[in-house]
Amino acid sequence: MNPSPQYRRAVGTLAGLVVIWAIFGALTDTFLTGRNIQNILLQSANVGAVAIGLTVVMIAAEIDLSVGALEAMAGAVTAILLKFLEFPVALAVSMGLGTVVILGALNGLVTWKVRLPSFVATLAMLGVAQGGAFVLTNGRPVNRLPDAFRFIGTGTIGPLNAAVVSTGALFILTHIILTRTRIGRHLFAVGGNAAAAESSGINAGRIKLYALMYSGFTSGVGGLILSARLNAGDGRFGESDLLVAVAAVIIGGTSLFGGVGTMIGTATGVIMVVSIKNGLVLSNVQDFWQRIVIGLLIILAMVVDQVARGERSFLKRRRPGGASI
Amino acid sequence: MATDSMVPALAVEGLSKNYGAVQAVRGVDLEVFAGEIVGLVGDNGSGKSTLVRCVAGSQKPDEGTIRINGILQTDSNPHKVRLTGLEVVHQDLSLVDTLDIAANFFLGREKCIEIPGVSPFGFLDYGYMKKFTNQALADLGVNIGSIDRPVGFLSGGQRQMVAVARAITWGESIIILDEPAASLGVEQTKLVLDLVRRLADRNRAVVFISHNMQHVMGVTNRIVVLRLGRKVGDLRTRDTSAREIVELITGSDLGNPV
Repeated sequence: MNPSPQYRRAVGTLAGLVVIWAIFGALTDTFLTGRNIQNILLQSANVGAVAIGLTVVMIAAEIDLSVGALEAMAGAVTAILLKFLEFPVALAVSMGLGTVVILGALNGLVTWKVRLPSFVATLAMLGVAQGGAFVLTNGRPVNRLPDAFRFIGTGTIGPLNAAVVSTGALFILTHIILTRTRIGRHLFAVGGNAAAAESSGINAGRIKLYALMYSGFTSGVGGLILSARLNAGDGRFGESDLLVAVAAVIIGGTSLFGGVGTMIGTATGVIMVVSIKNGLVLSNVQDFWQRIVIGLLIILAMVVDQVARGERSFLKRRRPGGASI
Repeated sequence: MATDSMVPALAVEGLSKNYGAVQAVRGVDLEVFAGEIVGLVGDNGSGKSTLVRCVAGSQKPDEGTIRINGILQTDSNPHKVRLTGLEVVHQDLSLVDTLDIAANFFLGREKCIEIPGVSPFGFLDYGYMKKFTNQALADLGVNIGSIDRPVGFLSGGQRQMVAVARAITWGESIIILDEPAASLGVEQTKLVLDLVRRLADRNRAVVFISHNMQHVMGVTNRIVVLRLGRKVGDLRTRDTSAREIVELITGSDLGNPV
């Protein structure tokens, strides 16, 4: 795969991030401080993990609307196992992750075998998983979790926060899978042209199943980070993360139509959206405005993308034999 | 040239396929020998594409058998059929626009550096695939510049050349070309027709589907005509004329020339 046009897009996102940092740096004294940058990274950790899986699903030309609900579910399952059944941390964490990977697999199987659009399958799962998390926690937070578990959200590894390290590692691992492996290549092929992939012997349905399972897994990681940081399992967790993750992935240059997307773009997109939220708070803007701004940002990113695409095909027509644009 | 004593590379017998009440293909026989170029012609809706889809494994025939190099194909799918050395260039070209030329060349057969035990995660051998693709295109005399470009950035003719070159490279025994020269310019059309002729010299069995009588007459050894799902003609190209073929296609007598 030739990544260069995709990476050019990521450079654009990076430039946008620099502009946003410059604006908030000028508006407030506190935004561009080491402490706040660390804060931004920490706040990016859980939604970053969620956005990784969402990117993978969107590259396969599908969508996962259940990511936020799966976060809540992973946190709730783990919290209950830790608190009421006193499971060891490693076992509770594995079972929390296992639960949401299975739910992700259900998303994939409904999409593949029942042939429902992932939009419908994962919307249904949004309801099931969020409701399920409330049922499991009896509608109130399960809090005061063991310190060993809380380390995931609040501990540090060297100078870095443990959550930032795990999400960073997940970004790197996914980047390698996407760009270096056969299964990554098949993911782009299925998202770019499912019929062509099928006639080349690639099982598109199975690739989409894997993508939705992976999304379940990364959402689970995000959920555990959130629960560990907030010291609780709660059905309410992750509710606003779908909006933030979708915005971040689209801003990062992943195509809604599939076949295009990068980890560096998504990472930049996540940091950008979180920076905007953080900057608005520091600028004393009321909380509710954050969601409005992020919603509008999705539209802006899409328009910028369409303009960029139009420009590309225009240059292509002008220089049919020339270098890629 | 083919002889009757040989096993046909492709042998279709009594193939039928219905779509609900529509009988797309009705009891068609087709034999293609190695080294032979058979034209498959017929009007729109005559069953050509359905026949090809059944042979390629992307549709299941309701009746009839398909043998590739004498081996009966049962429960076939596109992946299994490709392993027999049969390649199809469909009219839609089956290219992934967002992937580059080398990636499309190796679509579904990526060359990987395998790590035992983690085969789905085999690591792509970029260098090999690039080198191989460049060499294959050069061998075929196809010049489309840098192979790092996504296929979506190529012109219609260039895309077609990539699809044809890919099929020729991997199709070790049978190659089916559905309108391979449809969107090509004069120069590229000539190149594709030359390639098709050279395939027969290399002992491949070729099925050539086209609406262009000039191309069909110019490149094939034999012509099979379908009308409304039935085979209505199977003629040696040198024993027939474009006029006769067109009459068979349309089912109307154009009147005997004196």
